[in-house]
Amino acid sequence: MREPTFLILTALANGPRHGYGIVREVADLSAGRVTLLAGTLYTALDRLAAEGLIAHDHDETVDGRLRRYYRLTGGGITALEAETARLRQLTTAAEARLRHLRSRPA
Amino acid sequence: MPTTEVLARRYRRLLRCYPRDWRRARAAEVIALLLDAAPAGRTRPTAREAVDLVRAGLRCRLGRPASRTVVAWAALATVICGLFAGALASRAAWETSRPQPDRAEAAAILSEVFPGHDLGDIDTPPALFVVYGHPLTLRNVRSVLLGDGGEYQESATGAGATGAPPVPAEQIVAVARLRLTDGGWRVYDPEVSGGVSCADKLCATPMEITDTTLVARRGDTILNASISSQTAVDATYLAVELHRAPPPAVVPAGVLGALLGAAAGWLVFGWASRRTEGRRVSGTAASILFGVTMVLWWLPVLLTAPYLFTHHLAEPHPAWHPPWEWLGQPTASLLFLVGAVCALLALGLAAGPRRDRSPVALVG
Repeated sequence: MREPTFLILTALANGPRHGYGIVREVADLSAGRVTLLAGTLYTALDRLAAEGLIAHDHDETVDGRLRRYYRLTGGGITALEAETARLRQLTTAAEARLRHLRSRPA
Repeated sequence: MPTTEVLARRYRRLLRCYPRDWRRARAAEVIALLLDAAPAGRTRPTAREAVDLVRAGLRCRLGRPASRTVVAWAALATVICGLFAGALASRAAWETSRPQPDRAEAAAILSEVFPGHDLGDIDTPPALFVVYGHPLTLRNVRSVLLGDGGEYQESATGAGATGAPPVPAEQIVAVARLRLTDGGWRVYDPEVSGGVSCADKLCATPMEITDTTLVARRGDTILNASISSQTAVDATYLAVELHRAPPPAVVPAGVLGALLGAAAGWLVFGWASRRTEGRRVSGTAASILFGVTMVLWWLPVLLTAPYLFTHHLAEPHPAWHPPWEWLGQPTASLLFLVGAVCALLALGLAAGPRRDRSPVALVG
């Protein structure tokens, strides 16, 4: 799973969000490192919907602007859990090796 | 007009890169996002936003958002459509060329470059491009399609001198080079090859001979001369061909045709891909037909282009071979036609009724 996909799924993990909400949440999650552009975001949303990982939740209109909310599906939650576990395993392994490296005498 | 409306109109214009169905279902929310993200007072999309929307829109036109290979297939279709359309456009632009040199023009050149040689009758062709010396007509198009496509070539005005050369071949070449240079021709390095000539049927006394090919260009006229050192009475020691270089319109027409063809290839592939998405039987059949088309169209290109490139580097070429020859056409025109029939069948299947898919499915 690529980082923007992981971040989008993570952004939707605590509830449905609309497009701009996802963009802002992804920027927060990545500490400003990842800024999703509209074209990239909707390409990813189309793909995730086709893979059954997200679904349309509801629509709102705010100040005359349409906000379409998306939510994680059961498949999306499973995929996010699997990716989180994979990253955790890698992170744990990397941290263990770094600890070992630092503990070695220079 | 408020700046927000101006910006929204410009975003809407960029969204035309997306297919119409997608725009109907999603344009409002995408524009809302873009306006939410835009700082106050902005009236134009940033270059980064524009590139992103165009790129994503073109990808969206291919449908199958979860597919990892659809972009590669679309690229194959786009490039080959561009190449064929460019070749076709360049062939059409060849019609702006002057006719091949007539007898008067050829006689003037021949007497200027090869004085003292009896070049006999000057043979003028009936058309710019010929098949076995004849213009391409409905009568001989069948032979072009059924294996003789390689005979479709640019014609040339030709003449030849037979018998024993009056002076050594080296002298003929040297004088011709000098006269060509003096006459304002660009002369390419001659190519010399060796061979054996026989004075009788049994070849009891084989003689070593040389064949020199001399190529020169002046304006839109190219001269190819073959000078042999053979001395047999009934053989040709000097053969000259004059033909036209590609006219100036060929390159711009080819580039424009290639760009339009590539754009059409992407759009048509995208349309068919979206139409056949999610259809089990007709979708699979269309995919197989498309795969066959790609094999039949690409195979001659992949076999011919490297060979022609090597040939081009090995010999002096005052002009490039026509683009269609680089694509293996019309030598492999039968493969092209069968591929075209497969492509049409695939498009016919795509035109059939389809199941509703995303984005309607996503938002419905």
